[in-house]
Amino acid sequence: MNFAHEAILDDVPLTKRDMYYKDVPLFKSQATVDRLVDDLAATFELERADLNIRATSKGLICGTGLVIHLFGGEMIRVNDSEGSLIPAGESIENFEVESDISWVLVAVFQTLCRLQLACHPSLPGPGIIITGKGYPDVATRQLVKTLSDNLPLRVPILALVDGDAYGIDILSVYKHGSSSLRHEREKLAADRVQWLGIQMTELAGLEIDIDNLIPITKHDEKKAISMLQRPAAAMPTQWRKELTRMLHTRRKAEIEILSTAVAGRYPPGSPALLHYLLRKISYFIDRSV
Amino acid sequence: MSLAFLNALECTEPHADAIWDIAWTANDTAVSVSADGTVKQWDSTSGQISKSRPPHTLAIVSLSVSPDGRHALYNSLDGTTCLWDLQDDNILGQHASYDRAVEGAEPSWSVSLNPKGGTYAGTSGSGNVNIYSANPDSFGSRQLVLSSGRNKHGMDCKYSPDGSRIALATETGQVFIFELESGTLTSTYSTHAMAVRSLSWSADGQLLLTASEDKRLILHDVRSGPSGKPGSGAVATLTGHSSWVLSTDISPDGRLAVSGSADKTIKVWDLAARTAVSTIQDSGEVWAVAWRPKPSATGSAGAFVSGGEDGRVRWWRSAGAGS
Repeated sequence: MNFAHEAILDDVPLTKRDMYYKDVPLFKSQATVDRLVDDLAATFELERADLNIRATSKGLICGTGLVIHLFGGEMIRVNDSEGSLIPAGESIENFEVESDISWVLVAVFQTLCRLQLACHPSLPGPGIIITGKGYPDVATRQLVKTLSDNLPLRVPILALVDGDAYGIDILSVYKHGSSSLRHEREKLAADRVQWLGIQMTELAGLEIDIDNLIPITKHDEKKAISMLQRPAAAMPTQWRKELTRMLHTRRKAEIEILSTAVAGRYPPGSPALLHYLLRKISYFIDRSV
Repeated sequence: MSLAFLNALECTEPHADAIWDIAWTANDTAVSVSADGTVKQWDSTSGQISKSRPPHTLAIVSLSVSPDGRHALYNSLDGTTCLWDLQDDNILGQHASYDRAVEGAEPSWSVSLNPKGGTYAGTSGSGNVNIYSANPDSFGSRQLVLSSGRNKHGMDCKYSPDGSRIALATETGQVFIFELESGTLTSTYSTHAMAVRSLSWSADGQLLLTASEDKRLILHDVRSGPSGKPGSGAVATLTGHSSWVLSTDISPDGRLAVSGSADKTIKVWDLAARTAVSTIQDSGEVWAVAWRPKPSATGSAGAFVSGGEDGRVRWWRSAGAGS
């Protein structure tokens, strides 16, 4: 609590990572710091930013058409080749949309930036790819929320997650907010986010045999059953069906499975994942118009 | 040799989602359970719903009916087990098998009603078969735990027709037979290396047919020898499906077996000849098949009911003489 107090008095922002390192023996783990900060904020009915504690960023953004201006003059020009680290929401002064962004893809792992997807000629327009690297941190969710609140409705905001309990839970964090930050949910829930894929139920259409799917683990099973108990507002019918089918077949669909799709469908040398994304992003753009 | 089966009837209104288990009762009704959370009883002459349970919040994964057709036991994805009196249309018992307040509680997956009454069995995720009271005043109280010794998810369990034994099939393909009076494991069969999704006993309890994700059905001799040694095991392998075999049932006269598969077909097999004698094309995975329990008229191969991905109950009759 002293660190937070100092941070407010001196007006020097602190990240939770910084706090952890100030007294590792006391805190013992980053997770302890994270929990304490959230508890403090909830107790005072403040937001973490009011305590002048920033989220440590791990998310990346790549693509074209967007420049992020930070307080203090610094600027991040989002580019197509390398991901830029997503800055904490509180440090962003404004966004400059340079060209007509047609789509936003929110993904779990970063190899998408290397797929040359953002300016692909097959797509109606350029887009932005945000990588949360697993469960997204607050800065990443703030960015998705900001885009969701400000981009025109014809721009679909799509999430690519594994078709398993954890993937769907990550999707839920973006769309409905996380349960541990319940008091901040309104600010971070980006309801516009849609599930692009990958779903178990679409695999037959991609000629992927059920035998190629990975068996679920006991963790998947427990997680799925617990998620199915969530209220309807936080668990749409489509997601329930996927989780139910996963539990019944005892298989899950992970993004890597796309590489087993029938090779003849795609031009030689092109990754199945790229073509899957091109097709689905185009589909969602058409639907949003 | 081939036999023709005709689609004699289709239900008047489908379930909203896939049918995952089905039964043809002694009263000539059919009962189906669905991923949509509902349980329905159908008239086998008109195809109309005669009784229906209001939808459970979660999918129903398993169904077992009593030999007299009076009771239907069903279980949901999270382990809520209910006993439905089909005649009076009321619930005689409900058991939350997942309730951790009960010591040693394990959520049930597949359930089976003891044909002699009094108890029912539920498979768990740990390789046990739990035996519970089926009596309304003590419904769900656990009486016995049968342990396979393998910590694997139990896909299906079935009481033998005389109620003396119970068979368990797991997701690694092993099949275990327990004797209920002594509570002991008497036989283990490792004929499949992939999950066994469905089991069926012959009416005389001498044979057990397994349906597996390895695309095969295997007929096992499970008689106990005079010395008490367990049956010799696999006596026939039925091949022909091109994907997982999801469900199977041996006909009341023991001559035929029916199977439903993820390859979207239903096959009828001649058990003596060990070959398929009929293949019926369906529109999606066939999750559940069951023979009419009444022995068929002479010359007829009988009738069965099927349910699958499209949520429609279908009745099939042999095209042979009479039915």
